[in-house]
Amino acid sequence: MFWLLIPQFFVSGITTGSIYALIALGYCLIQNATGLVNFAQGEFVMLGAMMMVSLTHVAQLPMPLAFLISTAAVAVIGVALEQGPLRHSRNRDILTLVMITVGASISIRGASMLVWGKNSHIFPPLGGESPIVLFNAAIMPQSLWILGISLCVLGLLYLFFHRTLLGKAVRAAADNPFGAVLLGISVRRLVALAFALSGALGALAGILVTPITSMSYDAGLMLGLKGFAGAILGGYGSTVGAVVGGLLLGILESFGAGLISSAYKDAIAFIILLAILFVRPSGLFGSARVKRL
Amino acid sequence: MSRLFFVPKDWRAILLLAICVGTLPLGLENDYFMLILNVLALNALVVLGLNLLIGSTGQVSIGHAAFYGLGAYLSAIAGTSWQWPLPGAFAFAIILVAAVSLLLALPTLRLEGNYLVMATLGFNIIVTILFNQMEPLTGGPSGFPGIPRLSLGSFVLSTDRRFYYFIWAVFLAAFCLTLNLNDSRLGRAFKAIHENDLAAQALGIPSFRYKVVAFVLSAVYAALAGFCYAHYVTFISPKTFDIFYSVQLVTMVVVGGMGSLWGGLAGTVLLTFLPELLRHFEDFYVLTYGLILMGVLVFCPQGLVPVFLSVRWPSTWRKRPSLAARASSDSSRGGEPASSPSQALGSGMSESALSLRCLKDPHAGGRSDAAALLRLRKVTLGFGGLQALQSVSMEVGQGEIVALIGPNGAGKTTLLNIISGLLKPQHGEVLLEEKSLLGLSPHEIAACGIGRTFQSVQMYHQFSVLENMLVGFHVQGDSGFLAACLHMPGERREEALLRERASDLLQDFHMDAKAHQPVQHLSLLEQKLLEMARALALRPRILLMDEPVGGLHPRESELLVRYITLLRQHGIGIVLVEHDMNVVMRVADRVVVLQHGFRIATGTPKEVQQDPRVIAAYLGVKRS
Repeated sequence: MFWLLIPQFFVSGITTGSIYALIALGYCLIQNATGLVNFAQGEFVMLGAMMMVSLTHVAQLPMPLAFLISTAAVAVIGVALEQGPLRHSRNRDILTLVMITVGASISIRGASMLVWGKNSHIFPPLGGESPIVLFNAAIMPQSLWILGISLCVLGLLYLFFHRTLLGKAVRAAADNPFGAVLLGISVRRLVALAFALSGALGALAGILVTPITSMSYDAGLMLGLKGFAGAILGGYGSTVGAVVGGLLLGILESFGAGLISSAYKDAIAFIILLAILFVRPSGLFGSARVKRL
Repeated sequence: MSRLFFVPKDWRAILLLAICVGTLPLGLENDYFMLILNVLALNALVVLGLNLLIGSTGQVSIGHAAFYGLGAYLSAIAGTSWQWPLPGAFAFAIILVAAVSLLLALPTLRLEGNYLVMATLGFNIIVTILFNQMEPLTGGPSGFPGIPRLSLGSFVLSTDRRFYYFIWAVFLAAFCLTLNLNDSRLGRAFKAIHENDLAAQALGIPSFRYKVVAFVLSAVYAALAGFCYAHYVTFISPKTFDIFYSVQLVTMVVVGGMGSLWGGLAGTVLLTFLPELLRHFEDFYVLTYGLILMGVLVFCPQGLVPVFLSVRWPSTWRKRPSLAARASSDSSRGGEPASSPSQALGSGMSESALSLRCLKDPHAGGRSDAAALLRLRKVTLGFGGLQALQSVSMEVGQGEIVALIGPNGAGKTTLLNIISGLLKPQHGEVLLEEKSLLGLSPHEIAACGIGRTFQSVQMYHQFSVLENMLVGFHVQGDSGFLAACLHMPGERREEALLRERASDLLQDFHMDAKAHQPVQHLSLLEQKLLEMARALALRPRILLMDEPVGGLHPRESELLVRYITLLRQHGIGIVLVEHDMNVVMRVADRVVVLQHGFRIATGTPKEVQQDPRVIAAYLGVKRS
């Protein structure tokens, strides 16, 4: 009986895992560009999904167009967060900046409650609702879409960071911002770019996950935290780590929920988070940093 | 008055607050207002703990609602379901919360960065899930009813008014204790850790332990508030302790000014009354809190209250007299031959004016031929592909100056970092006399008697010159947290003694006139001297100096070198990393030359100067 369920757990784990991986990647981009933990990451996820809901249901736009508009809109919100409150903060202390993102996250959440109400929203999955059965696992076409799109995005990001001049500039600035400035790279623009990218990644994750789990104004916090847990698991700041950590977290959570108790499903991610901080704080792919005096 | 047991320095303000709190209910008939004031005191108690945490670690917790909730639920379960007497339930709740917070603090506070924020946030979510899911124990989402009220014998705190006096008394007591803690040796160490953790460790302050203690204390404050809350409202439900309450608490802290205890109280007052003003716009709560939090942080990150104070009152009204006034009154005492090192420099100071009277240690008597004090054996360390140090050995004897030289990137600072415990070598030994220093943390090594100055001067800019010295004297005190919170007479005497010693040492460096000035007013020379003096407060047997004369004028470096040679006469062994060869060749007893992580030469300055490998390393090889 138990053996028969394993493929199912695995499939659902991979599906949610790719969502976490996208969110974790968003944290990672901002961490590398600015050294900040962006608490509003989860709200980007929620906003993307909610905009998609409005654009498809209220404005009746076709899916692909609505998808593009909502992703772009969240990217703009990401840039606005960076160009507005973060850049104009009088105090450059990391704690202050991090707390500003907490404030932004709460504000976005409060505003979304006013705009979209307290109910949860949903839109139909891509590719219909009839599952494909494979090795005892019922696979929804949406799951395949999620996997496919996530893989595409990861591939594109890889090409961007390793094959384009702009992408290489981002990596250079992440490694040594001061050195990058001296070489004529505008770090400020790259930071804005990082916020735009992580906004778009968040929105993408939100749009992909909504047909499976639905979305409400307060779901961003939990998704964001799980993405963060994934990023820590993989090694904070490492892009490969973020992807692997996100996927691994999804699988662990799915098995944990299936084998132990689904009531504590949400707690599992945080227990893993605390455990990894305890045992190996640099994560699976991270390396300990050396501080120069 | 402030020298007395338990009485904080701001006792006038506390007295005023106590009178306000005591008389406020007399004119009030409205019970609802009493309820708000009681909630206010509970919030203020948690905020107090949060400020203590920020003050010492520079990190904030977005999970204090969980500790508040744990305090409430644990004592409710013990006191109601298990029928324990109140003190038992209280002890159960507090001890368990302390243990849980310790478990949370140990992994997260070891890390650099803002992991604590995320870990506490996640913890808050786990705890809320537990409250909701563990129905047989907690009653689940529908809540936990029938909690007994607080009582002392037959006297039950049955009305809002009775509870009001109780909770405000608790708060005021906690407030006094925390103010006392801040105004003590430990409070100073907390602030030092917050501003510059590494420098604090190099001065022997056990920063990790103090951070953990601050976190556990702040969780205990929250649990205490939760305990009082549960036994006041008699019904609790998980909704009260969710993440939004944590955010509210943090907003109170931010509005009042992070780390400021009085500000925290004011912020709590403002934000506890805010929902009452917004009563008809309940949907706007969340947005309003978010915008306030963000707005205050962007536009006045030091908090609204300090800004308000500085606008409202001229500086003379505030607690301390202005620094300039103090400084002038200090210097008017006059009479000393030279009131600052630079003046001393100008007047061509005589040898006799330079002396370190404070160093009367047993090892005095200059250089001895006994076995080396500090020994490094075959120390090896690589960073990835880069071999920073390859099997380097060296010895430093009592009263000996060993110069460590070499081109940039030779591994000099790395070697100092290994001795002071900031880096762990992959192979080799570091011995102080016969004791191995490997595996000890930086603060333990500092306390063993290895002082250190840094390549770029590490000062505490929020502190005055004297307070900077006092950070160095931390290791000479030993009174604990309880004594500090209560301002026990012994602790006060110790503090006075440390101040006296610090002033004496400052006097030896001719900086006593500037004792109460902020360190920014000091010249680079004075800052370097202060850093050296501060390291001497450790009563070091070995002093590691990283480019002490870098950036100084030749005549200034002359003075500094004279101090260094003076230290040698007092028997302190010195490891000197320096690029200025004139200085090295003049003062060093022995020179160790590093290149690319290898020790390429060692010997007296003369020998090293003629060593062909050293010449090659510095000047290159002549092509023939």
